[in-house]
Amino acid sequence: MTLAWPRVVGPRVDARDKATGATRYSADVESEGALHAAVVRSTVPHAEVLAVDASAALAIRGVTAVVTARDLERRFGDELCGRRVRDMPLLARDKVRFPGEGIAVVLATTRRVAEDAAALVVVEYRELPPVLDALGALEPDAPRVHESPWRYDGAVVDPSDPPNLQSGLVEGDLVAVDEVLGRAAHVVTRTYRTPSGYQGYLEPQCWTASPRPGGGVALLGTAKAPYRLREQTAKTLGLALDAVEVEPAPLGGDFGGKGGVVDPTLCAALALWANRPVRLALRAGEDMTATDARHPSVVEVRVGCDADGTLLALRVDAVFDGGAYAAVKPIPSANLHGMAECALGYRLEAFFVRSRIAYTTTVPKGHMRAPGAPQAVFAIESALDELASAAGVSPVVLRRRSVLAGGDRDAYGHVWDEARGTETLDAALAAGDAAPRPKDRGRSGWRRPAPSGWRRGRGVALYARPTAPPATTSLRLAPGDDGRLVVELPFPETGTGSHSVVREELAASLGVDPERVEVRQVSTASLPYDPGVGASRVTVGLTAAVRQLAGRWSESGGTEAVTIETGSGTEPPALSFCAQVADVAVDPETGQVLVLGVVTAADVASVLRPRSHRMQIDGGAVMGYGFACLEDLLEGDGQVWATNLAEFRLPTAQDVPSLRTVLVEGGRGVGPANVKAVGELSNVPTAAAIANAVAEATGRRFRQLPLTAERVFWALHGEAGEEAGEEAGEEAGEEAGEEAGEEAGEEEGPA
Amino acid sequence: MKLHARVNGSPFVAEVPATSSLLEVLRGAGLTGTKEGCRIGVCGVCTVLVDDRPVSSCLYLAGCASEADIWTVEGMAERAPSVVDAFVECEGMQCGICTPGQIVAVASMGPDVRDENGVRRYLSGNLCRCTGYGTIVDAALDAQARRRGEVAPT
Amino acid sequence: MTDPPSGEAAFLVPGTVEAAVEALGAAGAVAVAGGTSIGLLVGQGLLAPSVLVWLGRIPELSVLEEGDGQMSIGATTTLATLAAHPRVRTAVPALADAAASVGNTRVRAVATIGGALGHADPRQDLPPALLALDARVEVAGGRGRRHLAIDELIDGFMSTDLGPDEVITAVRVPLVDGRRSCYLRFTPGSADDYPTVAVAATAEVADGVPTAVRLAIGGAGPAAYLVPEAEQVEGAPEGRWAAEVAEVAEAAARRADPVDDRLGSAAYKRRMVAVWARRALERCLGADGVQP
Repeated sequence: MTLAWPRVVGPRVDARDKATGATRYSADVESEGALHAAVVRSTVPHAEVLAVDASAALAIRGVTAVVTARDLERRFGDELCGRRVRDMPLLARDKVRFPGEGIAVVLATTRRVAEDAAALVVVEYRELPPVLDALGALEPDAPRVHESPWRYDGAVVDPSDPPNLQSGLVEGDLVAVDEVLGRAAHVVTRTYRTPSGYQGYLEPQCWTASPRPGGGVALLGTAKAPYRLREQTAKTLGLALDAVEVEPAPLGGDFGGKGGVVDPTLCAALALWANRPVRLALRAGEDMTATDARHPSVVEVRVGCDADGTLLALRVDAVFDGGAYAAVKPIPSANLHGMAECALGYRLEAFFVRSRIAYTTTVPKGHMRAPGAPQAVFAIESALDELASAAGVSPVVLRRRSVLAGGDRDAYGHVWDEARGTETLDAALAAGDAAPRPKDRGRSGWRRPAPSGWRRGRGVALYARPTAPPATTSLRLAPGDDGRLVVELPFPETGTGSHSVVREELAASLGVDPERVEVRQVSTASLPYDPGVGASRVTVGLTAAVRQLAGRWSESGGTEAVTIETGSGTEPPALSFCAQVADVAVDPETGQVLVLGVVTAADVASVLRPRSHRMQIDGGAVMGYGFACLEDLLEGDGQVWATNLAEFRLPTAQDVPSLRTVLVEGGRGVGPANVKAVGELSNVPTAAAIANAVAEATGRRFRQLPLTAERVFWALHGEAGEEAGEEAGEEAGEEAGEEAGEEAGEEEGPA
Repeated sequence: MKLHARVNGSPFVAEVPATSSLLEVLRGAGLTGTKEGCRIGVCGVCTVLVDDRPVSSCLYLAGCASEADIWTVEGMAERAPSVVDAFVECEGMQCGICTPGQIVAVASMGPDVRDENGVRRYLSGNLCRCTGYGTIVDAALDAQARRRGEVAPT
Repeated sequence: MTDPPSGEAAFLVPGTVEAAVEALGAAGAVAVAGGTSIGLLVGQGLLAPSVLVWLGRIPELSVLEEGDGQMSIGATTTLATLAAHPRVRTAVPALADAAASVGNTRVRAVATIGGALGHADPRQDLPPALLALDARVEVAGGRGRRHLAIDELIDGFMSTDLGPDEVITAVRVPLVDGRRSCYLRFTPGSADDYPTVAVAATAEVADGVPTAVRLAIGGAGPAAYLVPEAEQVEGAPEGRWAAEVAEVAEAAARRADPVDDRLGSAAYKRRMVAVWARRALERCLGADGVQP
């Protein structure tokens, strides 16, 4: 149905509670008589566990038990756990495969006692050769992380694969791509590297499991996909689906990190084992080092164009470090969708993409905001600048020649009715050339000054992303007190404003005051299946579902509760482009890179909540900036060395570049609300835009993130850099500025 | 030790270990608006006021709060309503986990913090992973303007 | 059954320095001022004191006053107070700037000058500034009071000359008419991070001729250190000391003893010492046109 009333954008439904401390997050919910769990974690990357001595821990007042894998196996059997590939035990059995892997759990009456006691558990190891490098892991003689990974339930590999392959993805035509590249006028082949990272939400994961009186277990906690968690917990513990109830709480940030099933399933198992409520609250450091970091990557790009700079073919060969288990990856391929779509933005005669993820003895790698895309796009969009340089055209001209336009067929064979690559690119460039406006950031028109004497550069990068049609979800609408309407949702508010969208869409659909609509998230016992939040699908699916719900409500007379379950949409996807222009200044004496500003042009259809929409774009650009310049978990020797937020630095309010957003409006989206995805858009091209700007500023190409001052310094100052030779290439981006414009805003005095 | 203090304007007494953090004490007393984040004083989600000063309650020893006047986010609607209103109206939040700390930090700002650079510098220890900070800075500037009695610029 | 390691501790609130010193005589006693460092160590399970001796209620320690040609800064003076103090800002800007650079707003609101020096972390901002300013530290203990230079107090990596029953009571910074000072910290990643290197410089400049030039470096060794070669710049005529400054900067780098860490390799930090030493001297002497 169409909207009965115009949509009224009011304050967020969750704003007042969040601003007064009333919102109850997972860690804020009391559970009477709960035992507190503290996990004893491996200190080594790869070892046999010979013995676990818990005697000292058990002697501590307040400790009720120390639970090992054996205890759980006796009760629940030996099912492994995982979102798709079920390869991870709840606690390590005879072997640990990464530092941080759980070996035992101390249960105690307080959290402090549990943690103190966990530190007293002594584990005896016999160390095995670690597997620390993803490329090396795929060599035939590499030590095995798993003996027979193809035997795991959900495995996507077979015995003929390299020893530690976790998943592989191949698209395109290798023969054709080599043939086309063979006749290209210009070809560059370059390798790019990115480090592992942390999603950076500020709410550590937290779970409370309670045995239910009638059997089964209720789980409350940081669940982005409650129904999928229910399924995996039930399967792992040998329970019926309805014996597990998952109640989501508002999420204090997710960014892909809160879909894990192993920790909550462990918590549920402990509660059933102890027959008491159990709380498993991770400390921030545990969350960073032992859950699901972003995949580090090594991406080789081979790309060619003809004499005038028209792209011909793209070949991408990526190897990702998948860590010790595939268990946290949610998609059936156990690969990364950013890789599956990485050749999307341009007209190409041929392409070939291979993405291999290797098992290593490091923390399992999971999803982080557009998984795989920031890594792939950093590599490809950097390589395009290098190709432009080789071909003697500007990076902008090179992109304009080949970016998808309406009616074009993409590399995968899909014909897009609407593809606004050029419009989006031009909008970003125009905004980059315009003077700063007072409203660009806060209202005082704040803009980072460029210190005098620093070299300036500007870079551009593009990203294309499809928005899928509405996915399955469910909703319930019931009459509440005082003429209110209560709408129940199957998933938590992550902060995107999804619950506010539901309220406003429903109010507009039914022609009622939004104040009359109350939005509640409910447990998995209450509604039919929903796949959870993520993949920029929430707004698309919800708006479609809300209209269906409103229609049914009106048909039924609006007196009794109505539940709906939507199927997947069949309409074609929409395509969004995101173009970014980054202006940087580089201190030639120290190598420091100051990102002065990032302009984001986003290709949009309808915007339902303008401020929420803008925050998705701003927050994404800042995350992209962090990926480009700051963030590195510093994995080495199998350990994560950046173990807390003092060492893994997130961008602060004063670190961030000046941000400007321009919307390329009027696009065709999907679903009845005509929307395009925005959540996983602006964080993707930022690193390449910045790296391209630094290349212009310095005449050096940086192919490894983050762009630290030290990396830039050694590239500029040659001598001592062991790292410098390899990563700073011979190619300078001298011509890069021509089209992008040299001047980036006004020159200001020294900082 | 027995901790005697005032919290959000009311007398507060608790028997706590001297080595416990003020964060543990407050959350243990049901004041869960103050969040546990990094636990090393970096992220700012546990910010509370102790005798008008913003502190990381995760590091602040309970003993040092003896006789202190403590304010948490739960008290902000009373102590600094314009700050709460500014965050709601400017949508200075997404997931909300950093919001209590942001609001308490803004409530502790002196009148000397007037412009965007000042706000960004003052709030640099209050991390936010969602918003990109734009709407938080807007809210802080708005709150400062309201406290000066100026009509908030739009 | 045994109690957990992080069990109960006594919390004492002495009202005088003498009472604090006596309380610190107990086994396992630890002095607490602002509590940020101790709170961190206790919270991470790295320290399990049996007695906490809080210095926050000792009037003598919170004095901040000028007299006898020096600024006397009581040990529990917070960094926020120091950074905002009008006289500190004008007379010894290096100290105000260093204090304003520590941690974040919340740290500065409670962390104290005495606590910072007692912590002796080589990445800290205050030691190089105080060293360049030739500050002296007053210490009280069972053996009475004594006075130490900064590099006598901080004698190594996270190490001080303080006895277990000693507390820092005050820091005294000479006030010299016409003395310039500046503090520069290099944070190429996040501005809130520890500095990769930090440099403080002081000089008296009369008719463009510098005298009493002091240079101190932080972040590039187990503790902040002075660069005695800085005196080479003294007496050079106005605008004619570029060669001397360059030599001093190289000397500062030679004296560095940095470690490889996430803030940079040792080789990089050494190079940055030279760059930032030169910049600090130039700033202090007025070479870049900015009058400190």
